Amino acid sequence: MNTMRGPAAGPDVSVVVIAYNDAARLPTAVRSVLEQTLHGVEAVVVDDCSTDGTYETARALAAEHPGRVRVFRLPENSGGCGAPRNRGIAEARGSFVMFLDSDDELERNACRNLLEAAERTEADLVSGLCVRVHVANRHGKKVEWYPWLYRHSQVLESIGELPDLLVFDTLSTNKCYRRDFLLERDLRFPVGIHYEDLLFSARAYLAARRIALIPNRVYFWNVVENGDAAARSISNRRHEIANFAHRMEIHRRIDELLEQQRLSDLKFHKDVKFLKHDLVLHLRDLPLLDAEYRRRFAELAAGYLDGVDPSAYAAAEPVHAICAYLLRKQDWDNLLPAADTLANRAKLSSPLVERNGRVYWCAEHLDDPEGRAVLDVTDAGYHTGPLERLFLRNRLTSYGDDGRGTLRLAGNVVNPLGRIARSARLRGRLEFRPRRKGLRTVHCFPLTALRWGDRYLEWEAAAGLTHGLRPLGVIDAVWDVRLVLDVDGTRLRTRISVDGVDLDGARSLPVRPRLTRLVADHLLPEVSRRGHLAFRLVAEGAVASRATRSIGGLVTGRPGSLAKRGLRGARQVRRRMNSGPTKIGVYHRLFCRLPVRPGLIVFESHLGKQYSDSPRAVYEELRHLGVPFEGVWSYAGRSADGFPRDAVLVRRWGWRYLLALARADFWIDNQGFPLKLAKRSRTTYIQTWHGSALKRMGFDEPRLRMMTRPAQEAHQRVLDRFDHFLVRSEHDVRTLAAAFRLRSGVPVRTGYPRNDPLVAERRREELTGARSRGPLAAELGIEDDRMVLLYAPTFRADASGKVRNFEPGFDLEAFARRFGDRITLLVRAHYLNRVVLPPGLRGKVVDVTSQHDVTPLLALADGLITDYSSLMFDYALLDRPMIFFAHDYDAYAGESRGTYFDLRLKAPGPVAETEEELFAAVADLKSAGPVYAEARQRFVAEFGEYDRGDAARRVVELIALKRGTAPGGPA
Amino acid sequence: MNGAGTDARRTGDARRAQVCRDVFLVSNSVDELGGVTSWSHQMARLFLARGHRVHLVGIAPSEVPQDLGGEPPYPMTTLYGTRPPPAGPERGLRGLLDPAVRHRRRVREAGMREQVDRLSALFRTARPGGVVIVTQVWAMEWVRSADTGGLTVIGMSHESYDYSRGSSRFGRILRYYPDADRLLLLTREDADRWIRRGLDNVGCMPNPLPFMPEVASQRTEKVVISIGRLHDQKGIDMLLDTWAQTAPRFPGWRLRIYGSGEDEEMLKARCTALGLDAGVDWMGRTDDVPGALRGGSVFVQSSRGEGFPLALMEAMATAVPCVAFDCAPGVREIVRDGEDGLLATPGNTTELARQLGVLMADQELRDRMGVLARQNVRRYSTAEIVRRWEDLFAFLER
Repeated sequence: MNTMRGPAAGPDVSVVVIAYNDAARLPTAVRSVLEQTLHGVEAVVVDDCSTDGTYETARALAAEHPGRVRVFRLPENSGGCGAPRNRGIAEARGSFVMFLDSDDELERNACRNLLEAAERTEADLVSGLCVRVHVANRHGKKVEWYPWLYRHSQVLESIGELPDLLVFDTLSTNKCYRRDFLLERDLRFPVGIHYEDLLFSARAYLAARRIALIPNRVYFWNVVENGDAAARSISNRRHEIANFAHRMEIHRRIDELLEQQRLSDLKFHKDVKFLKHDLVLHLRDLPLLDAEYRRRFAELAAGYLDGVDPSAYAAAEPVHAICAYLLRKQDWDNLLPAADTLANRAKLSSPLVERNGRVYWCAEHLDDPEGRAVLDVTDAGYHTGPLERLFLRNRLTSYGDDGRGTLRLAGNVVNPLGRIARSARLRGRLEFRPRRKGLRTVHCFPLTALRWGDRYLEWEAAAGLTHGLRPLGVIDAVWDVRLVLDVDGTRLRTRISVDGVDLDGARSLPVRPRLTRLVADHLLPEVSRRGHLAFRLVAEGAVASRATRSIGGLVTGRPGSLAKRGLRGARQVRRRMNSGPTKIGVYHRLFCRLPVRPGLIVFESHLGKQYSDSPRAVYEELRHLGVPFEGVWSYAGRSADGFPRDAVLVRRWGWRYLLALARADFWIDNQGFPLKLAKRSRTTYIQTWHGSALKRMGFDEPRLRMMTRPAQEAHQRVLDRFDHFLVRSEHDVRTLAAAFRLRSGVPVRTGYPRNDPLVAERRREELTGARSRGPLAAELGIEDDRMVLLYAPTFRADASGKVRNFEPGFDLEAFARRFGDRITLLVRAHYLNRVVLPPGLRGKVVDVTSQHDVTPLLALADGLITDYSSLMFDYALLDRPMIFFAHDYDAYAGESRGTYFDLRLKAPGPVAETEEELFAAVADLKSAGPVYAEARQRFVAEFGEYDRGDAARRVVELIALKRGTAPGGPA
Repeated sequence: MNGAGTDARRTGDARRAQVCRDVFLVSNSVDELGGVTSWSHQMARLFLARGHRVHLVGIAPSEVPQDLGGEPPYPMTTLYGTRPPPAGPERGLRGLLDPAVRHRRRVREAGMREQVDRLSALFRTARPGGVVIVTQVWAMEWVRSADTGGLTVIGMSHESYDYSRGSSRFGRILRYYPDADRLLLLTREDADRWIRRGLDNVGCMPNPLPFMPEVASQRTEKVVISIGRLHDQKGIDMLLDTWAQTAPRFPGWRLRIYGSGEDEEMLKARCTALGLDAGVDWMGRTDDVPGALRGGSVFVQSSRGEGFPLALMEAMATAVPCVAFDCAPGVREIVRDGEDGLLATPGNTTELARQLGVLMADQELRDRMGVLARQNVRRYSTAEIVRRWEDLFAFLER
């Protein structure tokens, strides 16, 4: 112990441990205080008048640790945490005070770290990271409580510097308070009300002269999940209306406090969080609760919501704002489905409506401007995304059984914007699957009826569970139900939402598990946590009940755990077999020993994401010329849709892919085959690359330059795999070839095969004096008399290199209003981005992002709008007008990478920096043609001198040259 | 750190004055050439001057010894006569079955037990309140097995989190340090990252300033200074690229590169290839760092990796403002960007050249930043750092 302070000095930290009927866990909590690495710590135990011997337990602890544990008892039970904690504050003797609940624990170094920060920064309040420990979880699940607030040490002079702290971390327990601060500012917990932490924390944050945050874990909040209701802590019983009333009252008091201190910014952040978090907790249970509850709930909520900052709705996520709005309007018909989306965020639970070119959640409230703003869900892209990606709400409307083991269900599925057309071929079935992962059993039952209703598909089913469903027993105890629709071959999977149908009176259905009826004999319907219909295997007969109990003992006992361990081991072996390192090892040690197959060519474009670009052009040229070869295409997605049927298709990183690469005569791609795979010397790698460079590349990028020499050398070995590197100009040689430090002789001056059609197109145009449109125009529904502009911006990344969401940079609707009568704008985002266009732009603005190949789009476009995409270098070959929309050039060029040249000086077209300038340039497009003709020629000469229309043929010659001289010749 | 803490510290100061402690500084070896050795001996002298009893312990003899400049005024002990054999990487079956491996392990373990006992005996001579400071991870393997009862054990890592992550030390720190009373990193930012990685006993302690020169630079010479080994880590190749962009804009300015090393020839060839020979002076290694700095107006550092770079501190102490790649928490901790120096995105030579140009073009800005740098760097003065150490010793006893 400390030798320097006199015996009269109090401890550094008093930890107030409150307990109510928790004799079993209290000693653990107190021990976590006594075992702190900081010695000067005392435990102040306050018993809320327990009836189970908690007080006696505490007294025993005090006797065991005299001077370090002191015990107090409230004269009568207070029913909350406030009164005992207040008593603790009054009794504490330490310079600092902390709070601990009897079922939780402190981290060993918590007091030392909090005290260190408090003394270093002289803060009134120091807060650390709280960790929720899921006690009953098999895998020791631990969840950090708002870890993003605690990424690094911080000192705040006032809570205004970090509103999210007040808004999110409302706990009082993961903190250390200067005792004088609590006393001087008269900080106490409210008594007689739940959520006392929220108010106490808010008051403490607002009163503190300085707040310090440390990233250390300080508090372990032990969470009991699977226990019965009695074992749950108070804050967990959120479906009781009294709780909600308490919550609203606490919020009202905090808001009052914020108003007094004129902290409207904090109020705004708090409102956003209320919409996104607090309200959700209660709304999710709404479909399961009765009308009386709903009425009281709405009364309580509506009063509070009226005081919420209207701008908070815009900052919340759409579904939160929609729910809050509908709740205020007490529009239950629309709110209950919306609450389903709250619980199942991917789910579309409303049939939606289209009005004035926008998509809305429902047809009601659209005369209200606020309603229109909140209910507009156009940007969610429900109207454009592929149908099979939509997770549609499917509501159960009736449930029953015929008493002979057959289940009778009916329900309806949302048909959003009528996207499931009446002309579609429609089929459907019910699927029963065990919930446990790894089991693949499926039992299907056909629907007995399926018809189009108004905005819904209505269905009925009869499932003979007793005869049709044979569970194994024990391991497949829970069965989920799905309704799978087949719409013209497209599969839609839905879950069945139970809300509105009462299952409490539902009978169980007898079943015969394969492990005999000893393990279970009935299926009982239940509602899953997310509100969906499920069935549970139960033992109802006496024999089954007894047997189930003993089986339960086996499963959790030694034989069970042995079996489980074996199963896990087997799964691990399988995982390791298919892991990256294993594959790389097999590739190098086994596959690369097999003979190279002459004529085997592996193609890949953009890491397998597309069938496109120069690799495609070379592939098609080889086919066109009838050269004998064995073509293999790599694809990265789930399906090989869009890839050529006449090639062997292999999934990227699959075994067949690796085998093909190991045995290939040629590798042809435009970006890079996996870095970890060495290329054999007999294999020839033709790197076509995918665009001339504006931004710095390769070893000209700061990131690569900062790599240590060994790392640079390793990266160089990857680049040295290239035997040929196609370039379009000496600019490429100066930039790309130099930046990749390619050996001389590797760059080949052929131009890009993908650009051959562009050169041909221009020649044809010059020859005939007319532009002809290919089949793509018709495919996209573009009429002949309309001008086509292609808008192809490049992607933007944030500081961490993560690709940011697509933002057009100008108002597409304004564009359509102004030019929509004569111009069709094709929008192509970078393939890493997704675009959603409002339905009102139909025919005027078209999303072409999903087109694999960009070349036909370039050929189709009468003009190009781009910012800094390398497409400009290719499009220039067509000698058509180009507009450069460089609205954020400095930010883009000044980003950590830098550029090779100043685009604004060399751009062969008008450079627009604002939307107005852009629109003016579009209006003036005709004249831009001739004015910039010379600039375009210079641009092509500088960046595309080798694109002469014969690149693909020359690459084929390159291939033929090797094969002609290679011994053995083609297979 | 906030200035508000001064009063509290003064009172701590008065209280602390009487406490004299036994301080053991344990390193891989007591005289291995490098920063840790310089640091250990500097701290040993400083602790000694405060009346503490200091003992330096090395696990094994050095491979490349450093000149300690005479017999130190404190005892030094080296445990092993020759370096113990490595534990060997053989894991799994090979490690279990191969007799040669097993024999080597047995010998090593027996040797370890013997040396651990010596270490324990040494520690037992300490009076109450003694402290063991383990400066390196390897040395911790012996200390953690020794009897440190009644002593405070403080571990250290003299490198940035990122740098540790690239080496086997990362895993060993996670294994060996959770039970130490404190693990000290060079900066708060590095400490925070270890904390987020799961160590909850981490703090930070900067290195002390090696010297505070009497005479500061006047910053009137048209000279940019670089001091560092000619090694890949110091990124002199990027400095040359930077200079190639700066030099044409500033005729009459020279770049003086101090230091020697394995990359010398390669770098000189690159300098010639870039056509910079006329404006670049290769000065070789210098023993007179203050003198070298006095002759410059701007200091430049283009390293790929750093811990808590002394070179920047020395330049600032000489009132030479720094321009550097922001490559480690230590760099941004020492240089306050825009206040007493300028930083650039690591690897972005264009930006480094631009920042260099800002200072070269503006004498007034150089003066303002230089003077402020000399003032600000005093927070790492030896007196201040020793005070922080003594406060920490006292704190860990509470």
